[in-house]
Amino acid sequence: MFMDIKNLQFSYPKSPLKTVDNFSFTVEKGEVISILGRSGSGKSTLLRLIAGLEMPVGGSLTLNGKKMFCNQTFLQPEKRGIGMVFQDYALFPHMSVEENILFGLSKMSRKDKKKRVQEVLELVELIGFEKRYPHQLSGGQQQRVALARAMAPEPELILLDEPFSNLDTDLQVKIRGDLRRILKKAKTTAIFVTHNENDAHALADRIVKIKDGKIDKIGRPCDLLGVSPTEIPGMVEITYDELVGVR
Amino acid sequence: MNKHLANVNGWTIGAVLIIILLFLPNMSIVVGVFSPASDNWAHIKEFMLLNYIKSSLTLVLFTALFTIVIGLSLAWLIAQYHFPLRNFMKWALILPLSIPPFIGAYTYHGIINYTGVIQKTLRNHFEITPNPAYFDIMNVPGAIFIYTLFLFPYVYMITRIFLSHQAASLIESARTLGKGPWEIFFKIVLPISRVSIIGGASLVVLEVLNDYGVVKYFGIQTFSTAIFQTWFGLGDLESSIKLAASLMGIVIVILIIERLLRGGKQYSYSTTKVRPLPLVKLTGKKAFFATSYTLVIFSIAFLIPILQLCSWVILTFGKVPMGDVLLYTKNSVIVAGLGASLIIVCSLIVGNFSRVVNHKFAKVLPKLTVLGYSIPGVVVAVAVITTFIALDRLLAPVYQFWGLDSELVLSVSLFMLISAYVIRFFAIGYNSIEAGFDKIGTDFRDASRMLGAKSLRTFFKVDVPMMKGAIISGFILVFIDILKEIPLTLILRPFNYDTLATKAFQYASDEKIMEASQASLLIVGVSTIAIFVFHKLLREEPE
Repeated sequence: MFMDIKNLQFSYPKSPLKTVDNFSFTVEKGEVISILGRSGSGKSTLLRLIAGLEMPVGGSLTLNGKKMFCNQTFLQPEKRGIGMVFQDYALFPHMSVEENILFGLSKMSRKDKKKRVQEVLELVELIGFEKRYPHQLSGGQQQRVALARAMAPEPELILLDEPFSNLDTDLQVKIRGDLRRILKKAKTTAIFVTHNENDAHALADRIVKIKDGKIDKIGRPCDLLGVSPTEIPGMVEITYDELVGVR
Repeated sequence: MNKHLANVNGWTIGAVLIIILLFLPNMSIVVGVFSPASDNWAHIKEFMLLNYIKSSLTLVLFTALFTIVIGLSLAWLIAQYHFPLRNFMKWALILPLSIPPFIGAYTYHGIINYTGVIQKTLRNHFEITPNPAYFDIMNVPGAIFIYTLFLFPYVYMITRIFLSHQAASLIESARTLGKGPWEIFFKIVLPISRVSIIGGASLVVLEVLNDYGVVKYFGIQTFSTAIFQTWFGLGDLESSIKLAASLMGIVIVILIIERLLRGGKQYSYSTTKVRPLPLVKLTGKKAFFATSYTLVIFSIAFLIPILQLCSWVILTFGKVPMGDVLLYTKNSVIVAGLGASLIIVCSLIVGNFSRVVNHKFAKVLPKLTVLGYSIPGVVVAVAVITTFIALDRLLAPVYQFWGLDSELVLSVSLFMLISAYVIRFFAIGYNSIEAGFDKIGTDFRDASRMLGAKSLRTFFKVDVPMMKGAIISGFILVFIDILKEIPLTLILRPFNYDTLATKAFQYASDEKIMEASQASLLIVGVSTIAIFVFHKLLREEPE
């Protein structure tokens, strides 16, 4: 298995309630996982724990054979090789699109860096926007830059926190399709958090439903939500084969 | 795994070290209370202490009252109404802050004394010779007058920003309910701005307690002058430490009262999109009244003293060698620049620590450093010099080893003065930096770390550029404060090291008022420019 979470536990200081309670879960390489839950269910905390932005109380996490944390170790977020797309994108406002993407590329020659920037921009279809600043982009474009920035260093795992919540509904449907295509094309393993069943349905290979910090259900979208993927709005651009076949 | 240990890194160590260094000298005051009392102390306690307390409290109480009346009325006028000159007055009314009270004090004394412009004009042109006693401002009411004129902008500034940014919906709904302006003022504006009024007034109170220049020049006995006298007049450091501790006690009581007055009612932004209060246009008599009121205050608190200073500069031109003035300016800029830079660097380290380390201790500890600003300069001076002399004693073997023949090295260096500035003004810089960190939040930092950037790289590449505004405004505020500072600089400067402020103060103390004008005008000029830049900066920064 590619990623293995065992008995993950977390609670905020001075809170008797466990935000994440005995969470165990495995992910295969190339899988797109959706963590579905209401607000306050602990789903964003789970993502931040995997990223290393919060420190767990107990449990362990292994990614591609490397220990991220356990009782003895805690690897800092910058050493984990995990990419993250933030809910509000967190594009650095004082840097252009190109500079934002370059920020994550350190151990490369200048030429390779430029090449990689072009590659990811092509992937998200934003060639020609290199010199723009975040405030000169639309919400959808900002999100794609954030995705390109996270993918540029070729992380082993990419995390997306409510990737559609800041977009209007029309855009959501289109971006959803785009996002799945981009992730699959780059063969990236991804975990994204959402409160929207349609998003989970349209994007994920597997859905993890969580409630009060515990796993409620795990399964394929069609098993879990009882609808055939083709009937879901926004799926029109993706064929059924594409959706279930790529694994 | 140990959660807290995992967070211990360079930032934590640096921040804790800075906070301890900021506290250490003040601790020496607390320790000093328990040292054996000298004969002087018995005398001071029996005959003088009550007087010091009485005069200090009288000054504080009345100044607070008058600054609230003037500051609040101006804030309300500017925030709510449009009238001729309003846009100019909006920032011009902050300018009195650029005149240090002691400069205002001797300027006003110069204007109205026997040879001053008022009495001279009455004598020469109207042949009236009034009783000079009517024109005496060198007393407690005079000091209150001076403090009020040059400190009211604190109340004005804080309250105006609150009213024009946060009170819109409340005031508008009161208006739709059919309330007139007076009723709105007393029933809505006054209660909701309570926190900002108290915030501004407590700054005024701390400034008054800190002041040494005005009371010394006017010959009023307060804690600051008493601490100075016991120390330099009687040569009794122990007793002055005890006096300093008493003053610290009073300050702490005032701070507690402030907290209690605020209660739990800390109003804050309920939404991120703050709607400004739309202005009501005044016409006719009302507009005339509004313009005249603001104009009168502005003239008395800024224009008249500036004109007087200018005329003295012209009269005495060439009397004070230009080279000297340049040297004092250079010294002023050096100490203020060094002090402000050091404070900003320390604030950034402590601020980042407080933001990153998720522990209650990391949130509360930096707040305590505000105490340094609350504690009057004279007290900080006593504390710092005791600490540095102790340090010198400790380091004496090291000095010997290096072949230095002096026993006092640190305590006669510029380093001591700069450290004292850092202790006293840290809170000013820190507040600005903390607000900057709050504004950008932690998302960008997290994003940078997820992209593989280490803490230090994130700090310089992401945090610092995004906080440029906060860094510059923090620097400016501290710079102005150090430029105007008197007691610390007077006590702690190296031998023969003069700044614009100390020189102006010395000339004025020697009754060479006119010679003091050049240095004074330079201080005011630099501060005015800084305030202007600060004002522009705040306006251009997006909400």
